[in-house]
Amino acid sequence: MNGFWDTRVLAVSGGFLAELAQLRRARLFVVLTIVQAVTFLLLVTLYGLTGSRAPTAVVLSDQGPLGVVFLQDLANDHHSFALTRMTLPQAMKKLRRGDIVAVINIQAGFSDSITHGKDTVINVAVDNVDTDMTDDIQRALPSAIVAFGNQMHMPGIRVHAVENDLIDHDTGFIPYLVVSGLILDAFVIAGILGAVAVAREFESGTVKYLVLAPLPPLYSIGGRVCASALVSAIAMAFPVFIVILGYRVLPIHPVEMMAALSLSIIVFSCVGAALGAVLKRTLPVASLIFGIALPLYICSGSLEPSRFDGPVLWVLAHFSPVYYAVGVFEHAFHGLTVTPESVLVNVEALALWAVLAMALAGNCIQRGIATGTGATRVEQEVGAG
Amino acid sequence: MTSAVQIADVYFKAGGRSILEDVSLTIGRGEITGILGPNGAGKSTLLGLILGLKSPTSGTVTLLEHAEPAGSRSLKHRIGAVLQETSLYDELTPQENLNFAASLYGIPNPKERISEILDLIGLAGRRNDQTSTLSGGMRRRLTIGRALLHSPDLLVIDEPTLGVDVEARHAIWSHLRLLRSQGTTVIVSTNYLDEALALCDAVAVLRSGRLLLVEPPQALVARTGSCLEVEFIPENEDRIMNALYGRPDVLRMEATSTGLSIFLDPKASPDTIVRVLLDAATLKAFRVRAADLAEIFKAVG
Repeated sequence: MNGFWDTRVLAVSGGFLAELAQLRRARLFVVLTIVQAVTFLLLVTLYGLTGSRAPTAVVLSDQGPLGVVFLQDLANDHHSFALTRMTLPQAMKKLRRGDIVAVINIQAGFSDSITHGKDTVINVAVDNVDTDMTDDIQRALPSAIVAFGNQMHMPGIRVHAVENDLIDHDTGFIPYLVVSGLILDAFVIAGILGAVAVAREFESGTVKYLVLAPLPPLYSIGGRVCASALVSAIAMAFPVFIVILGYRVLPIHPVEMMAALSLSIIVFSCVGAALGAVLKRTLPVASLIFGIALPLYICSGSLEPSRFDGPVLWVLAHFSPVYYAVGVFEHAFHGLTVTPESVLVNVEALALWAVLAMALAGNCIQRGIATGTGATRVEQEVGAG
Repeated sequence: MTSAVQIADVYFKAGGRSILEDVSLTIGRGEITGILGPNGAGKSTLLGLILGLKSPTSGTVTLLEHAEPAGSRSLKHRIGAVLQETSLYDELTPQENLNFAASLYGIPNPKERISEILDLIGLAGRRNDQTSTLSGGMRRRLTIGRALLHSPDLLVIDEPTLGVDVEARHAIWSHLRLLRSQGTTVIVSTNYLDEALALCDAVAVLRSGRLLLVEPPQALVARTGSCLEVEFIPENEDRIMNALYGRPDVLRMEATSTGLSIFLDPKASPDTIVRVLLDAATLKAFRVRAADLAEIFKAVG
């Protein structure tokens, strides 16, 4: 007769090995789950590209030296445009065709007018299909004009902006997005694999066999969820390597990254397991995981620090594990502090989430077994176990 | 003989509905007992009580003369169960399915035992094939093998040959008889009379949650007697009815599309009845057959 713990370890390891064997034979499913995670990185990259690199034409009709100086100030200003020099006919043709967002025309005589203290006009033609773009142009041009005026020592301009950066280095929008995107990847991969491991037991009816065994089914199902978490951790290597090697975003604190990733996988595997026990079917798992993961991702500081989104969203974000995970990840990769809480507090919150998620999964699985098998004694047994 | 199962004055209610009423049943060790009954009779509930998946509303279920209630951990170690659904992991091989089962029953080094079981159920040659590729009969045998892995004293099987071909049925019956010879108590729920006759030492007949009788299957068949089916032209119906009217060896009659089904007293001779009928009218055809399970349920109910 085995000892009290020996039989439990045997049951957990039995579930663990069985799940690994099943996933080994369902390689296409695992690969497709990883592909979903990788396509999400591409999605956030496209989002970053389209928002920050709007194609804009600059027409320099002025023959004097100051037109070039203004153009340089415009290029140096903070905006989200990709400026390209063109002739006016070329630019207008592209604008009408929808190839570019705007045409900024520095007219002939611009240098003369400035030199002689006369008023001058910069014509801007905008495709105002998206007012966000129009607003950005309206903000960028005055800023460039002020910079130009200061550089030319124009009278009447006495305000100078002096920028003091909080962080000693700038972080690109796309590198910021792909790092937080890794948390969504962990959610998707671990959530789906955890949910399928549990839902499959109900869908195939094998849970009815598990309730006949001496130990409560929670042990073997727990082993399965552990196996799905291990496979998720291995699968997460793909998007992580893509971020490191493809996007050249190296973690400054790799241990921090590993800790946050491990805790996140535990949390998301357990959340998935709980959903699997509630759904009891594998078909709706992927869509539901995405449906839950995306809003949590967006409101948890994934696009910018969540405190910039207003107090309501910021408070709500604290109820999401993604908030703490993104906080640790942005610090681990970029050295950024995107949450008012310290990295240690974020890690502790993630650990607490892991414990809560395990309790939630255990509870949902027990309830699922009681309702899914009609075994009225199961809960009592699990409680005793 | 000591008892393997003792069910005393058991009532089971669910959702305000009475599923089992005043059921008392004793099953001796080393016997094969069949639980028979039409759909909704309470067979699955009775098996659920024996397996400890449900608790009786009142009454007691004692297994293997164990003081603990059915469903306790120590008893589960001594009971094997085969459910109606095969509940196998299709993506795993038979060997992996048995390995997993061994982990659930705390069998630490199961390799040798698994080989024994695979030999016993005739799946040694398919041990590394994916379970989804096995035939229905093979899958059924695998579930029985899985239930035997921990050498249970009591084996409970819900519909042992449901959906399997004739050859596989006989193989399964042969396994079960072998188990009985080794002292294992077997309880089977079945809807097949030939299965009960081939396997069971006793059958318990349930109807509407009540236990109607417990007796050897041969006695059950004898109780119902045989059935004489006769075909005749409609004009002869009155003559035939008159000839059979009031005869004590005719238990009951049922009209069919071509004639009559006449259920005879077990002691009656079908030859005698046929002669009586031939004297009364011309018969197109006649045949004698054993009563089927539905007819038995009607007869004993």
